[in-house]
Parts: sequence; C-alpha cells; structure tokens
Amino acid sequence: MRRERFLGVALGTFLIAIGLGASWSVASDQPPEGKIASVAVRLYLTEGSLPTDDPNAASWNAIQPSEFNLAPQVHWPDRIQEVTVKTVKVRGMHNGQDLAVMVEYEDPTESPADAAALEFMVGDQKAHFAHGQEMIQVEGGPVNIWYWKKADGKGTDMSAKGFKTIRAQDQQDVSATGVWQGGTWRVVFSRPLATGDEHDVQITPGEWRSIAFAFWDGELVDGEAREKGSQKAVSSWWSVRAEPTPDNSMYGYVVLGIAIAAGFEFFLVRKIRRGNHA
Amino acid sequence: MKNPLAKAGILLVGMYVFLKFILPQFTAPLPASLIFLYLALTFAASTIFFTMSGAGLEDFMGPVGRFLTGEGQSGIAGTARILVFLVFPLLVGWQTYTKLAPSDAPPAENRTIHPAPPGEFVGLANPFPKTQDNIMMGKGLYAAFCSPCHGANFDGKGPAAPGFNPPPANFSDPGTIAQLQEAYLFWRIKKGGVGLPIEGMPWKSAMPRWEFELPDDWIWKIIMGEYDGAHQSPRTWEEEEEE
Ligand code: HEC
Repeated sequence: MRRERFLGVALGTFLIAIGLGASWSVASDQPPEGKIASVAVRLYLTEGSLPTDDPNAASWNAIQPSEFNLAPQVHWPDRIQEVTVKTVKVRGMHNGQDLAVMVEYEDPTESPADAAALEFMVGDQKAHFAHGQEMIQVEGGPVNIWYWKKADGKGTDMSAKGFKTIRAQDQQDVSATGVWQGGTWRVVFSRPLATGDEHDVQITPGEWRSIAFAFWDGELVDGEAREKGSQKAVSSWWSVRAEPTPDNSMYGYVVLGIAIAAGFEFFLVRKIRRGNHA
Repeated sequence: MKNPLAKAGILLVGMYVFLKFILPQFTAPLPASLIFLYLALTFAASTIFFTMSGAGLEDFMGPVGRFLTGEGQSGIAGTARILVFLVFPLLVGWQTYTKLAPSDAPPAENRTIHPAPPGEFVGLANPFPKTQDNIMMGKGLYAAFCSPCHGANFDGKGPAAPGFNPPPANFSDPGTIAQLQEAYLFWRIKKGGVGLPIEGMPWKSAMPRWEFELPDDWIWKIIMGEYDGAHQSPRTWEEEEEE
C-alpha cells in the first residue's frame, strides 16, 4: 500500500496547494490603469458630532487619507498650462446624519481668492465631469458643486449642466471652512447626508457616488489672481462612499457555509465507506 | 507515472505554472479569474478523459476514495487527510466571507476603449497627401493642442495626464492608434470624449471635443503628424478585410 499512501499525501498537498494558489492568485490581481494612488474616498462612520468647524481636529488626523493627482485644466477654453495644486489628500466621515469631507493641499501663499470645490453627479443620470458638459450620444444629467472661497468665508451649494450654466442654488445646504498653515490648506465641507433638494447629490451609506475636485490658487500676480474661472487644477471622476453600518448577518452565512462543507465531507465519506463494504 | 490521478495533478500544476508565470513573459499577465477558469476547464476535461472507461474510473477515483475514508491509513497520509478535512470547510467559509464582506473598492467598470464609430465617420480617407510639409504642420499643431495630455513624446505622459482617469491614450503603444483607421481618429478627435457611446463612458473622458476649436483640415494633418511622431501607421481597409 506504499504507492497509495504516497498518492494520499500527494492528493492532500495538491488540494491544499490549489486552494491556496487560487486564493493567492485571486488576491494578487493588479489594479488597472497604472499606479494611481487612490480610486475612492471613504466617509468613515463615526459617532457623535463631526469636526466640521475645525480642520485641525485630532479626529481628522486619525483618518487614513485618499490621495488624488490633479491636472491643469487643459480640457476646454480658457485653458491653463501650469497650476499650483498638484495633488490633494481627502478624508471623510459621517455619523448617519451629516457628513464632512476635508481636502488638504499645498499652496505656498494664503490669498483671499484661494478656492476649492467638490463636484458630484446628481441622481442616477451620468454627468460629464466638466460641469456636466453636453454628451452627444448619452443624455447627461446635472452636477452638484460645493464651492468654498477664502474671501467668502463660507461654502456655496451650486448646480451646473453644461459650460457657463453654473449658478448658486436656491436651497443652500453646504457649509465650508478653511485653515491655512505653513503652506497647506485644510478645507472642510459639510452637509446633511440627505437634503431633500432634487438638485443635490444624496449620500446614502453603502452606496457609491462619483466625486471630482478643483482648486484655484488665488495669489495676485500683477493685480490678477493667478488662477480663476476655468483656469484651475482639476481631476476627473473618482468614487466616494459613506461607510455602511456593519452588517453582522454575514457571519451567520460564513458559519452556515462551513457547516454545509463539513456535512458534505461527512456524508461523502460515509457513502464511500458503504460502497466499499457493499 | 501510470496513475491517472497523478497525471491529472501534474497536468493541473503544469497548467497553473504556465498560465501564471510562463505566459506573462510574452504577454500581459492573465487576470486571476481567467486563470481560475482555465484550471477548472483542465480539471473537468482530465476528469472526463480519465474516467471514460470503468477501469479508468476505478484507477482515478479509487485512491481518492481510499484517501478520504482513511482506510488502512496512518502517519503522514492520516495527517494529510485531517488537514484536507479541515481546510475544505475553512476555504468555503473564507469564500463566503470574501463574497459577502462589504468591499472598500468601487465596483469595477468595464469601459469599451474602442467602440464602433457613428456611420458618417466610417470609410473617410485623409484628403491630404503625406508630404513632409503636412506632417510638420500636423506635429506643430499636436505640440500646441495635444501634447499637454498625450505628451510631447506621444506616450500619454503629458503634464496634465496624471489628473485624468482614464488616462490620455499612449499613441506609441501598439494597442492604440496602430489598431485604428485614420477615419476613426478623425471621429475621436472631432467629437472627443463626449462623443463616445454609452459603453465608452463619455462622462469620464477628458478628451476634448475639438470640432469647436480646430478646422477639419488641421485635424487631418494632426492625424498625420501623430502617426509619424508615434512611429505607427494607420490600419487600412485591406487589413480590415483580411480578418
Ligand atoms: C485634456 C487632455 C487631452 C487633450 C488636450 C487631448 N486629449 Fe486625446 N485623449 C485624452 C484622454 C483622457 C483620452 C482617453 C479617453 C478617450 O478615449 O476618450 C484621449 C484619447 C484620444 C484618442 C483615442 C485613442 C484611442 O486609442 O482610442 C485620440 C485619437 C486622441 N485622444 C487624440 C488627441 C489629439 C489629436 C489631441 C489634440 C488635438 C488630443 N487628443 C488632445 C485626453 C486629451
């Protein structure tokens, strides 16, 4: 029975190897399209009030930021070939009622015309990241823009559907506050998750939404802001999601899966034994 | 090695090594799901092959059965048997967990990179002769309008490229314009990202709609300069028909 024992060992190690190998190869799929730092912003679920007025609150620093690259806006006129803000770190949290998103980026000078904006698709309709510009073969939707400018000292809730259509909404739901320190802006935007305004993005925990970013360096050069209007640093669409409340029912299914597998083994062996003794 | 079970095992391991390590030396690495599919097919095929005859069935399944029942087993084989019995339910549990666990990754979106062009752009030919003058003019226009994204070296690495997802096309890669006809480029440049059909996900593309800014003549010359600069040549009708 030597040969069979050898086969038994071989089969056992083989099954284990295949199992591990398969899991390993599944886990080691490379993310597509190069080495972009992040693809999504995560709004961590927390309890209690959010640090909406304090960009330097300790709870912000406890969050692992996502990081996105930005480009000079060369997509449509008026273009700009070089911009100050090259990357942005984004952190987010929510408490089931309200959400807060903090953007952190480098800008060597503090100026009244410094500005930052978040952009979202509204509802189910896809919208082009450039202010919901018209698409030829696809019916596009509007975008919701949360705009902050140092000189305003507040956030503005805006809508756009196509170039030159951007306007402040009647119902304002967004707050924003920024702090500049040693060459770094930290700007916090906040809002209720749901606003009841059809022009707004509605954030539902567990569901994915699209988000894009824009920044303006308002430093005065010869009496004019270095970056303004369409001359800004931009990104295209990335993803954002408010963390869902943890669902523990899945552990029940895991236990069930293990039980079924063990039961299967038990009956398989019994069946083979019966067959052998028949 | 006469035993069919061992043969099947060797075949599977060989297949895995080939797909995972040898093939990627020549092409892009295969996605894990595809490797898994090929392995499952190999397994199914060898099982069917080796169990076609009654004797083959016994040869193939006999050792498996004896291993599983543990009859007359001791030492290493016994330990291996217990390990298998433990690992299998745990793998099932792990699979269930990974399937159900809320993922932090957004759902994968499969963008069709080269969707079919609208009918009116099919079969157009570049009206300009491929002269040095035309190519030079095309390259100059490319440098002015396209290089911020597609790069001065036609490699998709312009200064504005890092902000965009999907990234600007890399024209020196044989997978982009070398696969396309000039008429296709004419459509893409004129109508831009927003001209893509739904499967091309037009809302994500930063490719500008150049028809508002560049006359058709310029676009045709840019196409010429683009192919020349990227050291590629357009696909022709003849090539299309050979397929
Ligand atoms: C704002 C950045 C930007 C600029 C400027 C730009 N492009 Fe693009 N281009 C892109 C992006 C991003 C893509 C990939 C997404 C897509 O296919 O729409 C692309 C795709 C293309 C494609 C399709 C390639 C393929 O394999 O399908 C062509 C052709 C092209 N660009 C030509 C040009 C030309 C010619 C110019 C200058 C007149 C230009 N682009 C300027 C961003 C840009």
